[in-house]
Amino acid sequence: MQFVSLILKNSLRNRRRTLLTIASVALSFCLLGVLLALYNALFFSEAKDEQALRLVTRHKVSLTLVMPKYYDQRIQQVSGVAAVLPTMWYGGAYRDARDQRNFFPRFACDPARLFDVYTDFVIDPEQKQAFIRDRRGALVGKTLADKFGWKLGERITLVGDIFPGELELYLRGIFEHPTDDEVLYFPFEYLYEGLPSGRRDFVGTFVILAKSPEDVPKVSADIDELFRNSPVPTRTETEKAFALSFLSFLGNVKVFLLALCGAVTFTILLVSANTMAMSIRERYREVGVLKTLGFTQRAVMGLLLGEAAAIAMLGGALGLGLASFLCVGIRSLPAFVQETKTLAVEPQVALFCMMFAAFMGIASALIPALGASRASIVDALRFTD
Amino acid sequence: MQDVVIETRKLTKIYKRDEFEVVALKEADFTLRRGDFVALMGPSGSGKSTLLHLAAAMDKPTSGSIRVLGEDIAALRDREIAAWRNRHVGFVFQSFNLIPVLTAHENVELPLKLMRMTRQQREEHSRTALELVGLGDRVGHFPRQLSGGQEQRVAIARAIVTDPDLILADEPTGNLDANSAQEVLTLLRRLNEEFGKTVVIVTHDPHAARFARGIRYIEKGELLPEGATPEDWTPATPFAVTTPGNPKSSAQA
Repeated sequence: MQFVSLILKNSLRNRRRTLLTIASVALSFCLLGVLLALYNALFFSEAKDEQALRLVTRHKVSLTLVMPKYYDQRIQQVSGVAAVLPTMWYGGAYRDARDQRNFFPRFACDPARLFDVYTDFVIDPEQKQAFIRDRRGALVGKTLADKFGWKLGERITLVGDIFPGELELYLRGIFEHPTDDEVLYFPFEYLYEGLPSGRRDFVGTFVILAKSPEDVPKVSADIDELFRNSPVPTRTETEKAFALSFLSFLGNVKVFLLALCGAVTFTILLVSANTMAMSIRERYREVGVLKTLGFTQRAVMGLLLGEAAAIAMLGGALGLGLASFLCVGIRSLPAFVQETKTLAVEPQVALFCMMFAAFMGIASALIPALGASRASIVDALRFTD
Repeated sequence: MQDVVIETRKLTKIYKRDEFEVVALKEADFTLRRGDFVALMGPSGSGKSTLLHLAAAMDKPTSGSIRVLGEDIAALRDREIAAWRNRHVGFVFQSFNLIPVLTAHENVELPLKLMRMTRQQREEHSRTALELVGLGDRVGHFPRQLSGGQEQRVAIARAIVTDPDLILADEPTGNLDANSAQEVLTLLRRLNEEFGKTVVIVTHDPHAARFARGIRYIEKGELLPEGATPEDWTPATPFAVTTPGNPKSSAQA
């Protein structure tokens, strides 16, 4: 510990170079931090309590195919099912469909049963009742309402693409939810009015609430088993897994993220190794002086590696700070998957990054530090750059 | 307490550079007693610094024996040598070799950090050493804020702060003007006379050598007998640069 001040002072010996190194490490760690935060959010984060209880059943072949509406009753009879909500993806266009900012998910559903499944929606009881009662009522999340400046009673016109005609909806309720609040719900009843009778008997997905977390795997298996030999087999998965399945449209996101992390890591290592090699070379003679004063090879190694670790960790900490800011920005963007709505550099990601920064600093300086610390005093003192 | 501080017998150092072997020191017999102040003189490349480095255990001899303060330093392991050097030897370089990012106080304190001392003890020792070399008012100065003479005095303070038995100075006045050189040499003599430190300085400056109480000459790797001068000396064998394939080949360096 008594050499910490020497390590820090040595780190700042060539301030411009050190600051540039810290900046490049910081930028790399900013990127790495965001990528790892995303990876953590997508593949490691635990589902929230209510989300962990929810399952989604869809057509086994494709999400774009529909299922018979009567599956609803059969699913309700499965042991462990607390509530079921049939929904239908409406699609359609709001204002100018070419402007991506106008895109948001729109679902037809049974308003009375919506809140049985989404027990975590926070809504004023009067608004809830108004939505349930109005066959042209719309319910939206607060973020979506704020985005378009919608107020209660607002008329929202959706032009159908999958379905014919236009929907004239009136905003009756605004709910709050930490992640899933950029969505619009409206009643099946209104959608079905304009449809031929043959199209009224199908739904896109069933959102299911299990009674307990222990029931979730069994419910999933039982539902799929129930329809295994039917003309329309199903695939039931947790709400989180269902959301992640959208990512598969982009390809193997896991490998893509890891490949990016690997590239960033390798770049940091090269930058840091280059700096440390120069820095140690410049002080080769000083190593001889330190050893003359009684520093052992191990102590010299400790000083040099400590310096490299300090620079890398300083850059890492700065990068993680930047990554946190970037996550705030990402959270405010339209969410492709709900996990990005709460994207943050979690403590475990920060800890991993800081440990990795220290490791990377040490690894980058290891070879030149080993060479310098092993040099004989006489050779080190004779060294001229 | 050992009366003999340095004792070498047939001490030889041969440097190998690629295919060449350079005999830097050849079978040197040297004895230094406690309280001595000796100047090692000789031209550049004569082997005087090599002898100093061997005495400080900064280098290993090729053959022969060397005992310093009763310790067979050639037999010590690297880690033991580092601790031994820290406690028993103070080394002064020609080019001061202070750490530029540390203040005078921090430079002097550095060897103490390897000893079991409290921060307060280290500060006291460091301040005492700096006051002894007349720089008590420069403790917070960085090397770049000091003159050459002051830098060398800080280096001497660093060398004596652990209260070593032996002070070895390699051309301590080589980079100094006449006045600063005078101050540094006076300081070394004071350390010898008042504090009983055993001092060896390497120099090729006769004026500097006169501050010592004895002079030993080295010519072409050979340590001349006590009292002998280069004028009295004829080399036993020419100072040699040999190749492994032709060990007899020689060239005057």
